[in-house]
Amino acid sequence: MKIKWLRIDSRLIHGQVANNWVNHVGAGTIIAANDSAAKDDLRKTLLLQVAPGRTKSYVMTIDKTARCYKNPSYENLDVLLVVETPKDVLRLMDAGVEVTQVNVGGITFKEGMTLISEAVSVSPEDVEAFKELDKRGVKLILQQLPNTNASDFMNRLKSKNLL
Amino acid sequence: MVAIVIATHGDLSDALMGTAKMIFGTIENVAQVTFKPGEGIENLLDKYQAASESLEDDHILFLVDLFGGSPYNAASRFVARKENMDIVTGVNLPMFVEVLGKRLAGGTLEELVQTAKTAGADGIKSFKEIFSHQTLANSAKEDEGDELG
Repeated sequence: MKIKWLRIDSRLIHGQVANNWVNHVGAGTIIAANDSAAKDDLRKTLLLQVAPGRTKSYVMTIDKTARCYKNPSYENLDVLLVVETPKDVLRLMDAGVEVTQVNVGGITFKEGMTLISEAVSVSPEDVEAFKELDKRGVKLILQQLPNTNASDFMNRLKSKNLL
Repeated sequence: MVAIVIATHGDLSDALMGTAKMIFGTIENVAQVTFKPGEGIENLLDKYQAASESLEDDHILFLVDLFGGSPYNAASRFVARKENMDIVTGVNLPMFVEVLGKRLAGGTLEELVQTAKTAGADGIKSFKEIFSHQTLANSAKEDEGDELG
């Protein structure tokens, strides 16, 4: 499995991801790796409903995603992988998925979180996970849409005095 | 890159542009034209002239709201004797966003017209109609193994 693009987006599969990013990164497959969505039959069904028809789309648990990643029959599959949190990226890595770059796309604001950009907020737990990803040499890019500005995410955390 | 003019009754064209930026990001070479109470066809023709001069390509696709409404009627006069322009009616967000995508991929005026018609219509769906044909996921069974699904 070739991960063409790994994106953190709390909405997982929606219009922006489905259409723009798939076209932009040239992936034929979308995998939303998320335990709670994968175990919720209705949510899973509805996420798949909005996936673009021309791509194969899956909603799977983190563990199953990692197992499929290692399955040699998917060696040449170009995948857009979407997860909800930076912690999920760490879990994928711990399960053997190779990650060099992460697109921080959208994390919905909840109470106790710090606003980083229009589309991204972080909790203290998220910050710890991002620090660990950075420590492991993963490049973190803040970018909402393919044709909007990309910036270094760790720099943004630093400018918000979160590091 | 084919230029686009969105022309509607009231502020819809401005709002549609603002909304499309949420989904598409940066948008270039598009002009919005509004048609306000008290204005007439002549005002619209002036606005179309000004818009066409401000845009970077002489190929222009007009996306207007209502077939037979003033933005359409004025646009039809503006476009009728020009080979390099066309109008599609019933502008909506799915139409506009798909047209922008097709345009970015190098679509010609004729291709953009087809994309607009298809996307404008295909964007209209009933949830119940789709859902009644969908099989509900079975997560208990699907969490096993190392095969996609």
